[in-house]
Amino acid sequence: MVVCLSNNYYVCTGCALLCDDIEVELEGSSLVKVHSACRKGVARMKGCETPLECAVNGKSTDTDTAIKEAARILSNAENPLIFGHGNSSSQAQRKAIAIARKTGAYLDDTSSFCQGPIIEAILQGKLRTCTLDEVKDRADVIVFWGADPSSSHPRHMSRYSYFPRGKERQRGWEEDRTAICIDVRKSDTAEICGNNGTYIIPPGEDAEFMDALVSGLSNKVPKTSFDFDKKRILELTNILKKAKFGVIFAGLGLVYSLKDLEPLFALMDKLNSVSSFHLIPMVGQYNMRGSNHNIFEETGYVNRVKFGTEVLHGPEYSVVEALKEKAVDAALIIGSDPLSSLPLSVARYLTEIPLITIDPCQTLTSSKSDVTIPCALAGVESGGTAIRMDGVEVEMKKIIETDRLSDEEILTRILEAL
Amino acid sequence: MGFGQFLAAPEIKLKLITYRDVFQDSAKESSRFGEEYEKLSAVIRLDPKDISKLAIKEGDTVFVKNGSGKVIVKAMKSGYEEPHPGIAYMVNGPWSNALVPDDTGGTGVPKFKDIEATVQSAKGGKVTGILDIF
Ligand code: SF4
Repeated sequence: MVVCLSNNYYVCTGCALLCDDIEVELEGSSLVKVHSACRKGVARMKGCETPLECAVNGKSTDTDTAIKEAARILSNAENPLIFGHGNSSSQAQRKAIAIARKTGAYLDDTSSFCQGPIIEAILQGKLRTCTLDEVKDRADVIVFWGADPSSSHPRHMSRYSYFPRGKERQRGWEEDRTAICIDVRKSDTAEICGNNGTYIIPPGEDAEFMDALVSGLSNKVPKTSFDFDKKRILELTNILKKAKFGVIFAGLGLVYSLKDLEPLFALMDKLNSVSSFHLIPMVGQYNMRGSNHNIFEETGYVNRVKFGTEVLHGPEYSVVEALKEKAVDAALIIGSDPLSSLPLSVARYLTEIPLITIDPCQTLTSSKSDVTIPCALAGVESGGTAIRMDGVEVEMKKIIETDRLSDEEILTRILEAL
Repeated sequence: MGFGQFLAAPEIKLKLITYRDVFQDSAKESSRFGEEYEKLSAVIRLDPKDISKLAIKEGDTVFVKNGSGKVIVKAMKSGYEEPHPGIAYMVNGPWSNALVPDDTGGTGVPKFKDIEATVQSAKGGKVTGILDIF
């Protein structure tokens, strides 16, 4: 029997846009259709073809045994690493922080090598931000910088940033909004922004382009070492100056090309002295921003911490440096696949230490783990809250029942067993 | 397969930039051990001029290597209007991550979007499987 749950909206955890208008069809206790989500969201919500098995040293076992073994590994380790968190509910993240505190662990998340610095600056009040709903209702100049939402957050432009008719944007994108794309390649998003709205700059020159924009905004000649057409820069600065409600969506392209955020701060200051601009980070994993908020609340830092008699913080406590320097002697990975997402040259060390993975699905990391504990798929098989890319908290509801524990429950039990 | 047999093919140095792709991302959600994920991930996108320089056809496999690792992936044209010889694109995933250096200058942030590598025809060699990347 097919039951259509119309008017019952759910949240997609495919990315940090956390679309909350998802309808589903159930057959018995399985989810057969997902409506309104993008391709990636449908794939996420339907679940993977290769679910993770509960195992210790490659042998299937029950959850209790695996949890006990995980707790044993963590208690025996002198410097365990607890990593992941971006694909966990905020409630699970707080448990992970508690485990890190109790075991004197290194605690880090994916933001450590992507949006961390930007989210930290926002939480410290150094960058002016706004919500996606405000973007929908008010934004007239939208800049995608090193960001390609068409590929990374497929419903970004249609739900919020470009196409919708918001309260103060009733005449539609053709007349009411200007979309600009600054990138090193002509991405799918650049195609939408068109030739006039697209600025292709050489790799690694984002800081210089920001400086050139600041010059243009200050009525000076915008020079670049790569000889970017000055007329085009001035065209762009004119658009930026006239913005009533501007927003920059900062993608990984922007983050990776800046050595520090100073050029971005200078550009935002200048923009806000001539018009009105906000910045939202294009966060990838659905609750990576939540992880930053939760760690910040607990420690005053957004990531890269080491618990002990005091909380230490710095690049040396980042997942990358900790693995590179072989400073950790066991690892608990939650909802993340560092063997896929980190440079192999760095991640390979994980295969040399006792490794625990909690995930709904098999991953490269789980394939090398000593202990694997399957968890419920958040937003489908378990609920909780998460923080959207713009800082807004979203509540996820459970859609179907499962035998698998949520990551929050697994972490709670590991904590108790320590 | 020995490395020596590739020595005769022309080798070019490139800068690699990684990017995201929704189709590849969706394939990962379904199964990261699936064919579709490999098909969409183990690809390098080149300027047509670089394809000629390598004396290969679009769709041939190439060896991409540097001091951090080596993988065999499929070579495709990028399809971008603007020429970009010397710059190649790879979608973010285990194949591109095999080539990201561990040199971070102590910052904790690897250079995911700025990788130097050399590319050379793999002369029909098979694409590296996800479990063989190690
Ligand atoms: S854009 Fe993101 S949150 Fe929205 S449906 Fe797609 S994957 Fe899910």
